[in-house]
Amino acid sequence: MINILLVGVGGQGTVLAAKVLAQAAQSKGWQVRTAETIGMAQRGGSVVSHVRMGSEGEPVHAPLVAPETADAIIAFEPGEAVRSLPYLKKTGAVVTAKAVVQPVTAALSTKPYRTEDVIEALGAALAESGGKLEVVDAAPFLEELGNRRALNTVLLASAVARGAVPLTVDELKEAIRACVKPRFIEMNLAAVDAVADR
Amino acid sequence: MTKKLLMANEAFAHAALEAGVRVVAGYPGTPSSELIETVARLHAEGRAHGVHVEWSTNEKAALELLAGASYAGARCLFTCKQVGLNVASDALMSLNYVGVKGGLVLYVADDPGPISSQTEQDTRRFGDFAKVPVLDPSTPEEGFAMIKEAFELSERHGTPVIVRPTTRICHASTFFDVQDETHARPLPEEGFQKNPKWIIFPRRAYEAHDEIFNRLRMIQDEACKDGLSQFNTVIEVAPGMRFDEAARLTGSQFLARKDAEGEYSDVLEWEGTPRFDFETQDGPHVGIVAGGVSAAYVREALRHLERNQAEEGLQLPAYRFLQIGTPFPFPKELVRAFLDGLDCVVVYEELDNVLEDGLLRTMGEHGIRCQIMGSSCGLRYRGENSTKEILGSLKSFMAAFADADMAHYAHCPGDGSPLVENVDALLPVRPPVLCAGCPHRGSFYAVKRALGKREAVPCGDIGCYTLGNAAPLNAVDTCLCMGAGITMAQGFSVVESDKKQVAFVGDSTFFASGLTGIANAVYNGHDITVCVLDNATTAMTGAQPHPGTGVTLMGERRKPIDIEGVLRALGVECIVGADPLDLQGSIDAAAEAIGFEGPSAIIFRSPCVQLKKPDPVLHVKQELCTGCKKCITEIGCPAIGFSAEAQGARSKDRGQAFIDPGQCNGCGLCVQVCPFAAIQKEADHD
Ligand code: SF4
Ligand code: SF4
Repeated sequence: MINILLVGVGGQGTVLAAKVLAQAAQSKGWQVRTAETIGMAQRGGSVVSHVRMGSEGEPVHAPLVAPETADAIIAFEPGEAVRSLPYLKKTGAVVTAKAVVQPVTAALSTKPYRTEDVIEALGAALAESGGKLEVVDAAPFLEELGNRRALNTVLLASAVARGAVPLTVDELKEAIRACVKPRFIEMNLAAVDAVADR
Repeated sequence: MTKKLLMANEAFAHAALEAGVRVVAGYPGTPSSELIETVARLHAEGRAHGVHVEWSTNEKAALELLAGASYAGARCLFTCKQVGLNVASDALMSLNYVGVKGGLVLYVADDPGPISSQTEQDTRRFGDFAKVPVLDPSTPEEGFAMIKEAFELSERHGTPVIVRPTTRICHASTFFDVQDETHARPLPEEGFQKNPKWIIFPRRAYEAHDEIFNRLRMIQDEACKDGLSQFNTVIEVAPGMRFDEAARLTGSQFLARKDAEGEYSDVLEWEGTPRFDFETQDGPHVGIVAGGVSAAYVREALRHLERNQAEEGLQLPAYRFLQIGTPFPFPKELVRAFLDGLDCVVVYEELDNVLEDGLLRTMGEHGIRCQIMGSSCGLRYRGENSTKEILGSLKSFMAAFADADMAHYAHCPGDGSPLVENVDALLPVRPPVLCAGCPHRGSFYAVKRALGKREAVPCGDIGCYTLGNAAPLNAVDTCLCMGAGITMAQGFSVVESDKKQVAFVGDSTFFASGLTGIANAVYNGHDITVCVLDNATTAMTGAQPHPGTGVTLMGERRKPIDIEGVLRALGVECIVGADPLDLQGSIDAAAEAIGFEGPSAIIFRSPCVQLKKPDPVLHVKQELCTGCKKCITEIGCPAIGFSAEAQGARSKDRGQAFIDPGQCNGCGLCVQVCPFAAIQKEADHD
């Protein structure tokens, strides 16, 4: 069984990323289930997509990943990665975007919410548990691609390139072709290449 | 046939279309909305032939419309969320007495948690109260089969049928084989046929009540032995056996059979599959009952337990598992057979203890002795179940009641110590907020500014604008149910006449349930100001059209119903309009309406950000920002952040605001709030 969590802030595109992973798993002949956060939380709240793959041919029963069983957490925002750590397996991997997204609650408060602090906490936590951490500075990629909407693909591609999810770059591309709206396919494939060629 | 990754709500749309549904109507509500949208999409793509699909004005309108279509023989599907059934209940209660002709299925989605709802009401209970059969899927695949079967069941017995999934089913996705094209089932040639039974008189209701009673008895039978019993699964697991293996071997069916006299025999019989040889082995003394998504959690939890036991060379005891997909009417005979030989049973379900009550009632009726552990014995009675929680509970249950030697390695997933201590100190909370550039922000802010120091109770409503309650806007003091803002404000005005009463309502909500309240204000002369936040869509549920947009799901464009015209026709004398992104104009308009004595209205018009192309993003000028934070503390747009480190000529060490270009949609509201003209179109060039 392979369990993956995609976490972020409502509007960042975790739903599509979960679809792409599910498509890739299905192409490998695995049973797959995903679950989404839809509703109020999509308005800038914390969102989580669950992806579960029966990688040993076993049936997948529940749609949700249980705590301490996620093989990988792919985070579109590092604070959300921290929030979802209770789901990570001891040896699991976290692939996270570097930049924090400041919620209104943080802007209103006097306590700073800074990228450095969050990344540091993540690093310390995973060093202690023996998990893997990959921090992705997505900004240069997004600039190169000229499209901020590619954040989800940049992160998926990083996770694949680092071996955090058991898929090849080609399998990922195939799944993108099957899931993404035709006019965005090229841009997303370019995003995968940009990350893979790095 | 094509294999597709579908969200359950999408898959259920396919299931209904494959079952020949002809009329589909409902009102948006999370987690149910995607079903109708999928029907509309398939219709627009020319793949769903002969279907009529619509968002009705509200749930009651939808169900009544479908009642008519069903009397004429069409297969009909109604959709809403749990609280939507409250609105449609007036129709449903009597419709069940009248009965249906074309299959009529109510798809009502419950929301344990609740994740996006105002109550945790249980539609299984509603079915019991309304005496309407309820099917409750444990997986999207099962839901797919249930939707199809529900149409058959409905027609077999002339009853409406409820299919009630929960959020975790509705929003779960997996792969489905679906037909590429579908056709609505042809209508019966005779069409609608006059019959006194379509008219509900008291004497007829008394007769019909008997018919309801009898058909529920028959459906109860079917849930034990016929087609419907496919949704009730019994799996018997021998000591040390893997659950998945037992499920495969026993084919998951065992049937309570009637003998020659039509009585159920007390002997368990398995359908063509091995029962474990309990002559030499001890049979199970404990049982597990589960319904809905909890059944899937139980299966997962058992897998974890098996692994934990194996790691210590232990095995699980024998047990019997029952999954109930037909909670009402309760499959009593099946349950009676299930209970045979069991001393103790644990029950996992979400929301109300419907299955637990069914078990207790069955035992009472048959004098069966068994201990039932459910929510009345400390298990969950609110919120969601989870694999983790059920795992912990099953473990203690087996240790205590099956005398099982349970692995000492007591580790359940989630028991480990947290990787980051004190997450709350590190991270700010991230509640949902009005989107960056949401026009509602300007409306709330303008009304607040117009009220100034004047005391007021702003009454909110259900929709995105409920989020107006969050800091820093703090612009909503009440929220009850759809349309209630308008009428509650009138209640406040009766008893607190010294305060100004302001009600906020959305455009979709205005049509769904605002009109009667406005008529009431005019008729009884209540001094309230109604703010209609018209963003040209039903935003919270994902941008559905409504009567004020003129767009229908059938792709036609009609003349939109004009909100101002409606208010005028209802007798509201002071009606002002404003663009919420024009701050001063909005404050002036609000002041005028609030100053009017008697019912008045402001219509704030500006489209939802989901509907329009963003304008160029704005920037905070480093040399101008003073760090006063007004842009943050006044309007709280999520695109505006604050950096304590940033410095500029006028900000000293106070820090500065910044705008996240990834979120800003250029609405320009902050420009009008900043007292120092520090927010501008051009970026700094350094
Ligand atoms: S213009 Fe200002 S208020 Fe509007 S979205 Fe951008 S930052 Fe927010
Ligand atoms: S942008 Fe304007 S309102 Fe916001 S902190 Fe700077 S000076 Fe104050």
